[in-house]
Amino acid sequence: MTGTHHDCRDTVDAVVIGTGAGGAPLAARLAAAGLSVVALEAGRAFRPDEHVADELAADIYWMEERLSGGATPTAFGSNNSGMGVGGSMLHWGAFCPRPDPRDLQLKTLTGEGADWPVPHDDLIRYIEEVEGFTGVSGPAHYPWDATRRYAYPPVARNAAAEAMARGCAAIGMTATDAPAALVSRDREQPHFGQRQACVNCGTCHQGCRNAAKTSMDTTYLPYAVAHGAEIRPGCRVVDFDYDDRGRISAVVYATGEQQHRQRCNAVFLCAGGVETPRLLLNLGIANASGQVGRNFMAHVATQVWGRFDADMRMNRGYPSSLISEDMMRPGDAGCAGGYLIQSLGVLPVNLATGLARGAGMWGERLQTTLRGYNRMAGIGINGECLPHADNRLDLADETDAFGHRKARVRFSYHANEQAIDRHARRVMTDIWQAAGAQDVFAVDRSAHTIGTCRMGEDAESAVVDADGRSFEVPNLLICDNSIFPSALAANPALTIMALSLRTADRFLTSRP
Amino acid sequence: MIRPTLLMLHALGASGDEWRQVRERLPDYDCVALDLPGFGAAAGQGHADVVTMADQLADAIRASGAPACILVGHSMGGKMATLVAARAAAGEYGLSRLLGVVLVAASPPSPEPMDEARRAQMLGWCADGAIDRDAAETFVDANTAARLPDPLREAAIADVRRSAPEAWIAWLERGSREDWNADIGPIAMPALIVAGSDDGDLGEAAQRRLNQPLYEEAEVAVVADAAHLIPYEQPDALAALIDGFATGLAASVLPRAFADLLGSARVSRRTRAAMLARLRPPRPSDWSAAQHATIVALTGQILPDLADADDLARRVEASIGDGGGDGWRFDSLPPDRIAWVRGLATLDTVTGGFAALDRSVQADWLDRLAAGEVGCDDDGRHLSPAQMALWFEDVRAEVVRSWVALPATMAAIGYDGFAVGGDGPRKQGYVRTQADTVEAWQVQSEAVA
Ligand SMILES: Cc1cc2nc3c(=O)[nH]c(=O)nc-3n(C[C@H](O)[C@H](O)[C@H](O)COP(=O)(O)OP(=O)(O)OC[C@H]3O[C@@H](n4cnc5c(N)ncnc54)[C@H](O)[C@@H]3O)c2cc1C
Ligand code: SF4
Repeated sequence: MTGTHHDCRDTVDAVVIGTGAGGAPLAARLAAAGLSVVALEAGRAFRPDEHVADELAADIYWMEERLSGGATPTAFGSNNSGMGVGGSMLHWGAFCPRPDPRDLQLKTLTGEGADWPVPHDDLIRYIEEVEGFTGVSGPAHYPWDATRRYAYPPVARNAAAEAMARGCAAIGMTATDAPAALVSRDREQPHFGQRQACVNCGTCHQGCRNAAKTSMDTTYLPYAVAHGAEIRPGCRVVDFDYDDRGRISAVVYATGEQQHRQRCNAVFLCAGGVETPRLLLNLGIANASGQVGRNFMAHVATQVWGRFDADMRMNRGYPSSLISEDMMRPGDAGCAGGYLIQSLGVLPVNLATGLARGAGMWGERLQTTLRGYNRMAGIGINGECLPHADNRLDLADETDAFGHRKARVRFSYHANEQAIDRHARRVMTDIWQAAGAQDVFAVDRSAHTIGTCRMGEDAESAVVDADGRSFEVPNLLICDNSIFPSALAANPALTIMALSLRTADRFLTSRP
Repeated sequence: MIRPTLLMLHALGASGDEWRQVRERLPDYDCVALDLPGFGAAAGQGHADVVTMADQLADAIRASGAPACILVGHSMGGKMATLVAARAAAGEYGLSRLLGVVLVAASPPSPEPMDEARRAQMLGWCADGAIDRDAAETFVDANTAARLPDPLREAAIADVRRSAPEAWIAWLERGSREDWNADIGPIAMPALIVAGSDDGDLGEAAQRRLNQPLYEEAEVAVVADAAHLIPYEQPDALAALIDGFATGLAASVLPRAFADLLGSARVSRRTRAAMLARLRPPRPSDWSAAQHATIVALTGQILPDLADADDLARRVEASIGDGGGDGWRFDSLPPDRIAWVRGLATLDTVTGGFAALDRSVQADWLDRLAAGEVGCDDDGRHLSPAQMALWFEDVRAEVVRSWVALPATMAAIGYDGFAVGGDGPRKQGYVRTQADTVEAWQVQSEAVA
């Protein structure tokens, strides 16, 4: 799957940097509209069945070192960053709730955070298109949105999901099968081929081996290639050339020792919430606002764990098969925004790391808990994180193999995140106790790399406009997790894919 | 202790009988000495080429009920041993019980160095059919450092004469000349390479040049007063070497049911290879004895109930030494390796030698460490209290990650999530996902020895 070959000296209509949730859908849309498109991806290309069902051997993560600081440092690597044709969608968890309309207007409604410059209806139209194109499994009736329909029936609940359903029912909360970006029945995906029904293997985070899970390499990228786009794996973008009007005239990239230049008319930077701002800061461009790298956000992703009498074997089954949206506005939490709750099935290394880091355990308790792996189960949240100017990504003095300075991210929970964390611990502990868990404890965790190049109305406070265009470099557009003005409680990937299609459409209509 | 079964392969013109004396010296081991096609009791089977013999060997491993095995290949048999070891290390189905290889004066997978005049002479021996007594005597005597005692010499001569001429010719003309090196990466499986002090073309120099580089970890041992027929010439020394090697691998032996599952068609080749690589003993690392002692003590505090804290500590050391990292580090700590060196130094400075302390005293120190109460000035050689708290978090994560990822740990906790899809067109996954339901194939929790 690499597509039509374009010569580097040809001026292509668009170069897309990064092939994840932000890059792939727009590459497909632009190619379908007849534009010549080259997508440059730092990582390699995988066939789905090459993925490894082993936590340490999975080779789909961005493992180049990043520095993490602040009062609540967030983990990178396998916690949130992918590398490869398909980006972080190779290993994402496929949990795909839709964004809540109130979250897009947080500032107006609560005075906190930021409003999105994109109307909710507009976003939902694109989200429905993404859901239709990729195939989502979910419940027949969604308790928090009567109009919603999913194409495929939900996947089997696992033991953790059953426990959460039991616990929620006992304390009067609503929970249901989660919307999951996977197909619970075999599906023919246009230009890719068969995506087989989910087999409950539980290794989504190591890469789905039968293409049941939505990933860009099994959906939008084959579509893009079929419409003439070229995907070049193993191409690391390191620089740009400019013309005398300050427009980017070529994208400079490295393959091993060699450097190449691809001439182009427009650049879509979709390298993710860390690499996108890092590249801009290293090159010193698009940052007159001083906003590049600012407002780094990571969802509050606290987990609560417990031991059950039953044999749970939580690694079986799609890991997050139950959801509750009841806490999207927890009235008594003293915070703006809210959080989603999901059931958790994690593999042993992930659990072990969570216990050792997030729960500060060692010694007898740690080892006994791990030996009891088959009786453990957990629940977790995805909670709003407000943009704070002092939570930021900047550059460390150390450099990488390309001579670029490494990213340094300083992230601290502020009062709002602390309030969400506190509230969620209480609620989840109640649910877990009601479900029959013993030795209940919490694990601190934050997830996703959001913000850092936010979109907004004006060049003073934002890096790109509502259409993803840089306020400064006329033919530079950004579309990935970095443009989010606020975190939204919903997990990000569905929204990123929707924005990606929208960015492409706005670009196409604005062309002379 | 579960001892691996020894699967023994003989040399050209020999048979499984050549191992009799070595086997007598290894009474605690199950040994299976094969007769390759055209030799010994299999002389009537004509001949087989190298690939066919390697396939038969792989099938023998699959068919053996042993939970673990080691291949011992002598001369010609060594070529097949290396070919099968490479296939096993790459994750081939059904070969996950193979733990290691002993090569004895072994022919390499590349062309065997052999004087052409000698090759012609040996081919000439069976120009008229079976090899005669004179030729067989010449062959046996030329391959021993000193003349063998008579009963052994007679047995060796009889084996040569029993060989099917077509098998003899096939090895000399084809098998020994075939070059398989292109198919073999560095083999991630421990190997012991044995050479005879008086051997010619396949002596120590050839072993170091042709066989050792094919293995990631291979140790070379030279047996004194032996030429090429080491199993006949020096059975005491050879048996002792094999026993030492096999004992060193005992910790890699997995419980039977788990080993079967890992070898099964429910596991993909890439997944199996990754897990098998972790089964190998830890690589040697360059930490000092004092640093190692402190890491062992920390490991024992973080996971108090370990069968072998020393082994796990060495795995942690190798992992930190690699500098691979996990994609990030705390911004207030130096790069991992340096942070570890300084963290260990700080711990020893403030505690006056951590490893020597009483366990409960160590535990108290770690409580204070985690609370950010213990450290030195950040003088470029030590870590501050705040840094120590973060470093100790890294240490916990690294130790526990290394432990949980071991196949033996997975077996102990009853984890089978690696066996969710082989290389076939449909992945197996799980049919049952609810609590208290287990599928027939799933391994029940099983304690490791
Ligand atoms: C373990 C895990 C579980 C997750 N689970 C969920 C979930 O259940 N639901 C959900 O909604 N979200 C989930 N996410 C988050 C989701 O995967 C990301 O939000 C999303 O993929 C981000 O999209 P992106 O386009 O911003 O970046 P990515 O998808 O990360 O794509 C960026 C791409 O750019 C490439 N790149 C970077 N720099 C360069 C360069 N200089 N040159 C060339 N290429 C470059 C990278 O290699 C990468 O392929 C999860 C993430 C992780 C890690
Ligand atoms: S649980 Fe389903 S979606 Fe996830 S990796 Fe397995 S088959 Fe794919």
